[in-house]
Amino acid sequence: MRIPWIAAACLAALPATAALAEDDCHAPRAAWQPREAAMQAASRLGWRVEEIEADDGCWEIEGRDAEGRRIKAKLDPATLNVVKLRHRDGGRDRRREDVRAPAAPLAAPPANPLFQNGKPPVVQVN
Amino acid sequence: MKSAIAAFALTSALVAPGLAAARPVTFTTTLNNYGGDGAYLVLYLTDAAGRYAGTLWVAGGKSKYYDSLAGWYRATGGDPAQIDGITGASVGAGRTLEITLDLADALFDAGYVLHVDAAVEDMRDSPDDVAVPLTTQGAGKPTPGRRYVASLKYDM
Repeated sequence: MRIPWIAAACLAALPATAALAEDDCHAPRAAWQPREAAMQAASRLGWRVEEIEADDGCWEIEGRDAEGRRIKAKLDPATLNVVKLRHRDGGRDRRREDVRAPAAPLAAPPANPLFQNGKPPVVQVN
Repeated sequence: MKSAIAAFALTSALVAPGLAAARPVTFTTTLNNYGGDGAYLVLYLTDAAGRYAGTLWVAGGKSKYYDSLAGWYRATGGDPAQIDGITGASVGAGRTLEITLDLADALFDAGYVLHVDAAVEDMRDSPDDVAVPLTTQGAGKPTPGRRYVASLKYDM
């Protein structure tokens, strides 16, 4: 699964206030700090940036940390705070998508003919 | 012939769901400790002719990654209408996803196959990580997966 390279190009086409529900960051376009500011923020953290792009509403950085470990991070584009940081060995020091609370019970049955009796599925992650 | 009867029964079930025989079925998908991000998973069915029959659940919230669930995506084109209301968070390595729903009896012993496609960021996609025929005899028996799925079973 690869991150689409067109994300940065699409960003420019977004309305000024658009923020997608699926995104990891939700700053309006007008509040974004420029790429150079994100690079400087990374530098202050001791990171060596190898790649930077807009993705999932954030600045996404790939490179190495002060200890030389490979990292992949997402910065809030308005505050430049780190919202996700993962070392390439698989660890992540901030929230993991998979440990979010399970989805709330569905309010309406899904529009899917396999489901009988109009009941939504009951889903649990253990 | 059997699949034609099953198709008729399922069609009837869809037209008059109140009259259809259905039972609660729990699908349990356990992941390996593959050492990566949360896995995107999709559980879907094909009929006896191998045609897409419907989606049961999608784990993983970002639709831009759905094309990595290649078998399902080929069948549906990622059509949001197929998964409206049946998506949730991705599933972490080593964890277990349990889905319980009422499923038409006509889907069992009629050639329907349950497929699980899996994908993990920066790792190889795994279409049909596991695929099992829906049979009453197969209930309760775990089937091993190929890459990210340790096992899949259904109970009813």
